Amino acid sequence: MRLPKTWLQEYVDFNVTDEEFIQRMMWRGFELESCEKELKAVSGVITGKILSMQKHPNADKLTVCQVDIGGKIAQILTNAKNVFVGAVVPVAYAGAKIGSQEFTVANIRGVESQGMFCSGEEFNLSEQEYPGAEADGILILRADTPVGIPIEKAIDREDVIFDFSVLPNRPDCNSIIGLAREAAAALGQKMKAPVIARVPGEGDVKDIMQVTVENGDLCPRYCGRAATNLKIGPSPAWMQRRLKQMGMRPISNIVDITNYVLMEYGHPTHAFDAACIREGHIIVRNAKEGEVVTTLDKKERVMDENMLLISDPQGGVGVAGVMGGLNSEITENTQTVFFESAVFKASNIRRTARKLRHVTDAAARFIKGVEPVNAELALERCIELVQELGAGSIIGGAIDVCHADLKDREIDVDVNHVNRILNTRLSAKEMAKLLSTIEVPAQDEGENLHVTIPHFRTDIESGIEADADIAEEVGRIYGFENIPAVLMEGETFRGSLAPKFRAEDLVKDTLVACGCLEMYNYNFTGPNALNALGFDAKDERNRAVKLLNPFGEDQSLMRTTLYMGMLDSAVRNIRRKTGYGRFMEVGNVHFDLGGDALPREEEKIGLVFFGEKESFYTLKGAIQTLLSRFGVAGARYVKSDSPCFQPGRRADILVNGQKLGELGQVHPAVQEAWDLPVAVYMAELSFEALLALWNETPTFQPLPKFPVVNRDLAIVVPENSESIHWIELIEQAPVDVIVEKARLFDVYRGPAVGPFKKSLAITFNLRSEDHTLTEEEIRTAFETIIRTLNENGAPLRQ
Amino acid sequence: MENDLQRIREEAQQRLNALTEEGDLNALQQQLFGKAGELTAILRSMGKLSKEERSELGAGVNKLKQELEAAMESRRAQFRQKAQELRFEREALDVTEEGVTPQMLGHLHPMTKTYRTIRDALVGMGFQVFDGPEIELDDNNFTLLNLPLDHPARDMQDTFYINDKVLLRTHTSPCEIRALQTFKPPFRFLMPGRVFRVDEVDASHSPVFMQIEGFVVDRNLNLANLKGTLDAFIRALFGENVKTRLRPSYFPFTEPSAELDMSCTICKGKGCRVCKGTGWIEILGCGMTNPHELENCGLDPKEWSAFAFGIGVDRVTSLKYGISDIRHEYENDARFLTQF
Repeated sequence: MRLPKTWLQEYVDFNVTDEEFIQRMMWRGFELESCEKELKAVSGVITGKILSMQKHPNADKLTVCQVDIGGKIAQILTNAKNVFVGAVVPVAYAGAKIGSQEFTVANIRGVESQGMFCSGEEFNLSEQEYPGAEADGILILRADTPVGIPIEKAIDREDVIFDFSVLPNRPDCNSIIGLAREAAAALGQKMKAPVIARVPGEGDVKDIMQVTVENGDLCPRYCGRAATNLKIGPSPAWMQRRLKQMGMRPISNIVDITNYVLMEYGHPTHAFDAACIREGHIIVRNAKEGEVVTTLDKKERVMDENMLLISDPQGGVGVAGVMGGLNSEITENTQTVFFESAVFKASNIRRTARKLRHVTDAAARFIKGVEPVNAELALERCIELVQELGAGSIIGGAIDVCHADLKDREIDVDVNHVNRILNTRLSAKEMAKLLSTIEVPAQDEGENLHVTIPHFRTDIESGIEADADIAEEVGRIYGFENIPAVLMEGETFRGSLAPKFRAEDLVKDTLVACGCLEMYNYNFTGPNALNALGFDAKDERNRAVKLLNPFGEDQSLMRTTLYMGMLDSAVRNIRRKTGYGRFMEVGNVHFDLGGDALPREEEKIGLVFFGEKESFYTLKGAIQTLLSRFGVAGARYVKSDSPCFQPGRRADILVNGQKLGELGQVHPAVQEAWDLPVAVYMAELSFEALLALWNETPTFQPLPKFPVVNRDLAIVVPENSESIHWIELIEQAPVDVIVEKARLFDVYRGPAVGPFKKSLAITFNLRSEDHTLTEEEIRTAFETIIRTLNENGAPLRQ
Repeated sequence: MENDLQRIREEAQQRLNALTEEGDLNALQQQLFGKAGELTAILRSMGKLSKEERSELGAGVNKLKQELEAAMESRRAQFRQKAQELRFEREALDVTEEGVTPQMLGHLHPMTKTYRTIRDALVGMGFQVFDGPEIELDDNNFTLLNLPLDHPARDMQDTFYINDKVLLRTHTSPCEIRALQTFKPPFRFLMPGRVFRVDEVDASHSPVFMQIEGFVVDRNLNLANLKGTLDAFIRALFGENVKTRLRPSYFPFTEPSAELDMSCTICKGKGCRVCKGTGWIEILGCGMTNPHELENCGLDPKEWSAFAFGIGVDRVTSLKYGISDIRHEYENDARFLTQF
């Protein structure tokens, strides 16, 4: 909310610096958004007196002026016809700025010009504000204007405009009076509150207008008054200036009055041309489905039956709370004006304004919340201004259709509770004194504070929140800065991480140790990305949760796997040649369960590896390291048919027969869909499944008491056989000793083993629980293993 | 005989001096002390001598043996010393050459680092970690937090909806409702997680970001406790020299509500671009939990008190590491990630 300093000064003495004022408002909950000069677009423009004028030697229309700009003579060229020797004019001397235009010394057809003269338009002045401002040409200043002074001073536009952000619970402060009330308290003063003189007028408004409110729920109060014999014309200079300071455009006296009151009192009013209300009868009712009203901006608004319409017996004359109708607009011919000041239900106006995509200043006020007492004040203020401006004669009487309770609410507040909330030791009397500074009357009743909530404080509740609401007000005025910082007392709390959070750290730390960079990808994806992964129709990953209001199609779904985001980031890294190809992400995915049920959320671990150094096996190595860190033994990597991976290069990770995750090389179709120039390997594991398998506190296993004998062998096997098959044969060979830790350590393919064959080099350990193996035992066991392999089609490599 | 000993001594000394490598010492030892050695021969010849002569000669031989052995040992030490020196010279390295990294080490995302720092600070103050789902019921995200359907403050947080009743949570505050429904007070929870708002992506906005909610429910909590807790927490996070200030604000789920500013860590309070010249940076929203919220979850607000605060992990990360554009945090460019 903008607050011009001079406007504020009508209600309070501004007795501190701007900085101090801003600081004090901050402590009361009003944060400064900006603080600007009244003529913020103008800088460096000064007044100058024209000393002489000569024709430009090479340009007929130009005049060369010598101008006294205060202790200095400037040469300015102009084509204006209204300047004369002796005229005092605004000079944008080299270095001055207006908007984005910066003035410099220019050479115009061989003659130097050190700047330009300015017109009234450049200072946003109207004829009412400064005589001559709308003249064709340069603004001729009053003859007694000193030379060399800033133009802001010369035309009295030196105000400062503060803009404070108003919190949603304080709609009353979306007005000059509301902010002034807080400012007065902040400055330690009593506000000089305005008193509206209720102008009685002649005749009775009820003779020209009748109002029927059909839906009192959506329109709790409707007030109206009228004025006639109107003299429509521009509003006076002071009002125009204020409106401009508030960022509004003056239109005509009657319309300006409603805008002025909107700023001053924060309550929207509307001016109807009374003659255009057919049969002199306003009916506030729900619109008919499809009913059309043309609003002041000449747009046709199609209403629905939940919207509130201001109508006469023949049709709409305005969209309630949003905008008046074109058919009843104030024109220069308007004889009689009917002012409407009503309260409309915020939620209904919000819905209407949104649906019509038309959130006007008025609608914004109704949405933030207005109150019925202020509605009447605003109306009387309009009438008072009509009188003051001499814009017409006031008609007596007032219309007031009221379904609202206008009485100030009274509450009892527990003083001790307030002190408990704030950690203060204030008496009821002290609290009452603090509250009186913001015009909230309160009576000291010992441990009870009897508070009368003024009509404008709609935020203070009378229910269970009352103590807290009053605590906030007392605290705000007492000053949060004066409340000490005290650590919590009471019983000891033991801070800790549940296993889930410890496991999450371990996953990330282990994968970082494996060389991975951690990714954070968005949760959004789209049908194209999901379809490109090619999951089977019955795959759960096709059951993505849909957003009702996404940014776009490609962000309309919640991810069901981390793959899409990881692939997006992989492409980015490849394109930008970042030289890194190992990434991981830990994040949630969601599966739609249908109906209104919350989707199933599952935490996943994703890995994506790419580039020359990476392969299926480097990816698998990282997964094995992770499982080993979690003490998970016996994971099996079983060929899978997951469609997003290339056939023959994909596997499921099974532990105890349960799927823990999957890995593989990205399928060429997926590679193409993401436009990946290199092979990419990726994996996804279920974090919950890994957590369930975590052996965080392993039981000690006794160390072998007797020596271990290590043996290696190399066998020749069919190319398409899996090494795990041969390793298991070795470990399960019918021998009397323990065979363990069998592991593949080399694979050879080539002429020495022949086509469609490969040679596997396997190492393993032999030992016994109860004695040192003899040479004979070792030899027998080794030979048995070789024989077993041989019988199963795996001869030793020669 | 004396002469023989003297001769052996002199000859041995000469030969010892003439040796060129350690291996030759063994041969000399054999020649002197071995079965066919010269000293052995002398001892063997002693049978012919008288008892006195024998003992005199024996003593002489032993003395010579010890003498020579010591001389040989010292010669051996010389050889070893020399050999080692040669080896050191041979094996000397260019210490300025590049070190060999065993394997590329990865990096945690800076947001994970910030999250852990915040978490550790709060765990140290007796908080436990708890979390809730990213897709939430409207009830938990709004209604039970004192934001009924028509509440104007719903507009403060533009929301992604799944349907009328389900949405992407706009803050971590619905975790408060879940905590109140799950645990008996008193408790102190920190509740991290992703939150979502309909905000187009730009340098300072992201539709997805990470928040940590702090939530304490106990019997006699007050605004001073909130202030004390946050002051200690922010100092744990940004250093002991950071100052904080609590100023009034508004949130529907707290009353009184406040915002916490900290002295700008970039300019130390002098005023800069980051703090927009004010010397202060807005760091979190907080307040005493609204009695309606406690009552909605079955607690008597006269008996129980609570406070809550919510801090943006993205924002703290940006401040802590001086990241000027929030988009980096979700683009996963390796050149960004490897800096942390």
